[in-house]
Amino acid sequence: MAIDMTPAAGVGSPTDLEARGLKAAKPWFTGNMLTAFIGGAIGYAFGHWLGNAIASNYSVVADGAGNEVAIYLSLIIGCLGWFVGLGALNYPIQKLLGLEPIDPPKSEKRSFWEHFTYSTDHKVVGVQYLFGMLLYFLVAGLLALGIRTELLSPVNHIWAPDTYIEIVGEHGTMMMMMMTSVIMGPFGNYLIPLMIGSKKMAFPRLEATSFWFTVPSFFILLSALWQGGFQSGWTGYAPLSIQGGPGQSDYDVAFALMALSMVAASINMTATIINYRAPGMRWSRMPILAWGMITVAFTMLLSVPVLFDGLYVMSLDRGVRTAMLYAGHGGSSFLWENLFWFFGHPEVYLLALPGFALTVELLPVFARKPIFALKTSTAGLIGVAVLSFFVWQHHLFMSGMNPDMRPLFMLTTELISIPTGFLYLVAMGTVWRGKIRFEVPMLFLLAVFWNFLWGGVTGVYNSDVPVDALVHGSFFVMAHFHFTIMGQLIFAVFAGVYYYVPLIFGIRLNDKLGKISFWIIFVAFNSTFLPLFMIGLLGQPRRVFEYALRLQHLNQWVSVSSYVLGFGILLYVINLIWSLAVTRTPAGPNPWESRGLEWQVGYPVPRDNFEKVPVVLRDPYGYGTGDDTPVADLNPVGDMAAVVTGGDA
Amino acid sequence: MNKGARISIVLVSAAVAVGLILFGIFGYLRTYPPTVVFTPSPTQPHTVDVTLQVEGAVGTGPHPNWVGWYAKDAQGKWVRTTLYQVPEKTYVHVTVYEYDSGGPLRNPYWGKITGTVGNDAVLNGKKVSVLDAAEGNGIGHTMVAPALNLSVPMWGLSGTEKTFCQSGPCTLANAHNTETFTFYTGNHPHNYRWQCFIPCGAGFLNGNGGPMAETGYMAGFWKVVA
Repeated sequence: MAIDMTPAAGVGSPTDLEARGLKAAKPWFTGNMLTAFIGGAIGYAFGHWLGNAIASNYSVVADGAGNEVAIYLSLIIGCLGWFVGLGALNYPIQKLLGLEPIDPPKSEKRSFWEHFTYSTDHKVVGVQYLFGMLLYFLVAGLLALGIRTELLSPVNHIWAPDTYIEIVGEHGTMMMMMMTSVIMGPFGNYLIPLMIGSKKMAFPRLEATSFWFTVPSFFILLSALWQGGFQSGWTGYAPLSIQGGPGQSDYDVAFALMALSMVAASINMTATIINYRAPGMRWSRMPILAWGMITVAFTMLLSVPVLFDGLYVMSLDRGVRTAMLYAGHGGSSFLWENLFWFFGHPEVYLLALPGFALTVELLPVFARKPIFALKTSTAGLIGVAVLSFFVWQHHLFMSGMNPDMRPLFMLTTELISIPTGFLYLVAMGTVWRGKIRFEVPMLFLLAVFWNFLWGGVTGVYNSDVPVDALVHGSFFVMAHFHFTIMGQLIFAVFAGVYYYVPLIFGIRLNDKLGKISFWIIFVAFNSTFLPLFMIGLLGQPRRVFEYALRLQHLNQWVSVSSYVLGFGILLYVINLIWSLAVTRTPAGPNPWESRGLEWQVGYPVPRDNFEKVPVVLRDPYGYGTGDDTPVADLNPVGDMAAVVTGGDA
Repeated sequence: MNKGARISIVLVSAAVAVGLILFGIFGYLRTYPPTVVFTPSPTQPHTVDVTLQVEGAVGTGPHPNWVGWYAKDAQGKWVRTTLYQVPEKTYVHVTVYEYDSGGPLRNPYWGKITGTVGNDAVLNGKKVSVLDAAEGNGIGHTMVAPALNLSVPMWGLSGTEKTFCQSGPCTLANAHNTETFTFYTGNHPHNYRWQCFIPCGAGFLNGNGGPMAETGYMAGFWKVVA
């Protein structure tokens, strides 16, 4: 292998800004979240001024009072200012100036404040993602409780109708766009180098950038609530998206930033897994989570640019009065629908596949058995990813699409249940006759089986045109995707966080509180979403804040259940925060007795992960086989790596 | 850092988070235009009088350039709102002062008056059942409550009137049309949604969006109570 894997590669040596006479600029050069906010505010103000200077009264409607050019420029230049303040541009600017860029050194023990800086340490980025995603999820979840509060009664209203649809749009968009990174962000970034035996990520700056895109994206999206929201909902259909006010521009820019984040993360993940595997880490030995990450990364790389293109077209229609998406001006709303769903349906699998990968990764640890049919699960991941690009038009069955195309997309959508079934059956086979340890992560993993069964089976029905004609736009569809995404992905994340906290933070969560929170979440989740199938079949449409009086009792049941679900999730978060900040019960090395390479390095994870590049000897799933051969040689002697790989070490 | 300090930091952070959430909910999301309550006089128990005005720029609030409505409350003060509470089983006499300009309708059917007593209204002293938007200054706005079958178009002004009102609330010294009509609230207490059907959101594509979609401007409720 010719790749430079020395500790210093890509991260440099200690900085000496003072010696260069740049003492005053040190905070900017090192960068942190505070200077980023200042930079963002300056950029925002400048962008707004520039927009008004160059395009005053040049808006989506002739003589309209709003200047969308100013709004777009303020958000875009504000984001640029954010990155300048963060210090993200120091490296390329210094390179342009002919200086030799140098970064702050990575310390052995990570400080608390380091997590508020533009760090190129993959472990710091993983933790940043973990808490970032947690924040985004909780805010979006709170908005969901706002929705359910409104639906307590069909006649007495908590919100105004326009506020209600703003909240629905915010909830949907925040969940769907931010949660694409809920596994790749924290787990992918923190664990993949450890799992494949690498000392670093391939592109540490790209990795850091991918996280720091999510922060302005979140705040910009949230700010839409203060600007009239976006009535188009998360799908952004024209003409609503073209008619919308400034909140719609927030949606546009926030989604675009998140798209850039996904692309940056994917490029980094793909390059790392392909090029940075340790000697002996063959494809056949690679952990299933790494397979999940690379599959998802490729899917993102092919689908997300199409979304970005659509968002760019939307910004032109809104900002400079082009007419590509609005039929009244000669464009076509089908253009947006196709661009959006060409990303949007693979995106559903961008959410589901990491959940499956994480589930299959953890199950053997608690079943004390090897993964059943490891290659089949890999085939399942790849199969779902490939087929996901051939199903998007099932979202357009009722849109007036060419009816001759419906059977094709019905068939492709039904076909995708086959590789999905691979994953489900592999997971079941892994548990079958295992010596199951009913620890908290395992409880969440077992719940994934139950939840996904509901989501998966109803998904097969939804893909049929006649059924879709009946349930389209109803709560039935809403219940379906909440079972597949929240019931699968978020439960897997809860399992993953619980499982990996000892590795990341060296502490253990409170098991009693963990079990209580699990049972509340599991029961309340089903109590919330199962009745929604019935409510949908009885005719209640999504996105409408009034409904038939006869559905009030069912809706009240669901709303009260959602409060209990919220309480369960809060309990889980309290357990996490309290255990991290207050009790700090030491977990000890490898508390789950995992054979994964990531657990072999101990806590705290060394600065460069491994003292020497390890030599991988086998896959990490040999539980209960009686073969205690180590997974890897962490201190290979001499040119052992060369012997294993048959080439240069 | 000792355990007590860590506990304090966690609790203070939690308190700040809860404070932010409550501020977000009550400071913004629950911000709602007020409801003006109309009650019958003792001598006429099943009748209420409602006085409204609609204009081109309401002048206050977060969107001072948007079109919107005012209602006169019991003290005779103009309140910017589109939420009106009236009793059930009651005849509501509505007087609307129209201060905005008008134009042709995209659908002439919207010029028809329905749901009022007699399916007609009185415009500047003349009884009318249909307003022809192709004539004169056309239609400015409509008040449509589908569940009450109520649809009343408002005759527009010329935008070049010398005394054209620029900012609300307008006064009778400004150029205006006066339109009156009566409708029955029925036997079912309910919040009946009403909406202007004339796309009048200046600055939004085809006039849709903005004030058209927001409570307090061109959408609201007739709250019929027991």
